[in-house]
Amino acid sequence: MPETPVQCALRESVGEVLEKMFFVEPLDEPPVAADPPDGEIAVKLSFEGSPSGVLTLSVSPDAARQVAADFLGEEPSDLAAGRIGEVVCELANMICGSVLSRVESSSTFRLAAPSLLMAEEWRRRPETADCRAVHSVAIGDGILTATLETRDPVCTSAEKSVF
Amino acid sequence: MAYRVLIVDDSPAMRSFVKRVIELSGFDLSDCFEAGDGAEALKLLGSEWVDAILTDINMPGMDGEELLGRLSADDLLRSIPTIVISTDATRSRMDRLATLGARGYITKPFLPEDLRAVLEHTLGDLHA
Repeated sequence: MPETPVQCALRESVGEVLEKMFFVEPLDEPPVAADPPDGEIAVKLSFEGSPSGVLTLSVSPDAARQVAADFLGEEPSDLAAGRIGEVVCELANMICGSVLSRVESSSTFRLAAPSLLMAEEWRRRPETADCRAVHSVAIGDGILTATLETRDPVCTSAEKSVF
Repeated sequence: MAYRVLIVDDSPAMRSFVKRVIELSGFDLSDCFEAGDGAEALKLLGSEWVDAILTDINMPGMDGEELLGRLSADDLLRSIPTIVISTDATRSRMDRLATLGARGYITKPFLPEDLRAVLEHTLGDLHA
């Protein structure tokens, strides 16, 4: 099945953010687990614009600690859980902004503050979106999964210019 | 020359990252102040002078656009170069912020050298 524009934007954004800001080169796409691993850190971020929707980011504990250490320039073992959560929230913020800038370059959008999700909330999240894209990458021994759900179908600015 | 810089962002992690990148870029920071939103930044500027402000846009409380407007309306503070650091790379947003007085714009994600280049350009002759 060919990659959709929003799927492509999500893949490119995850790669670019991790490489530029976290100095991490993501490895090949891993299989997505049916259930999140224990201790996984998940973040939800709503956005308003054209389109509107939600980005959810989940990162396994080891991967979260590693990306937080790379971002802050500190030793992984020195980081408290709260600071790791702050970094994962910022990671979600950057990925979401990057995706929206790729699919919507002619109008502005507004991002809400990212919030950490409890494990139960993450497992029971509804899937009611009109459009959904998922991208996972391996970071060391862990996995990062970004899910973008929009309330309206998404097309790129290039596609819009055709109409 | 040592600089006094103010970083405005609601994310403590992002403030730490920007500060680290500035230091790694070779800029001599004599003081690096931090604020969680525009209101906090204005309060701090009431008592501290800085050579440059780096601000996020989307923040709870007073956001970056309102901060830029307040700075532009102030006879003294409008002379401080302000650089926007944002995830929003849309043309309309960049144009509006330039109108409000932003001297530079850095889109997240960025490389450390991107921040250095914008800082050098914005601070101009101050950085010799």
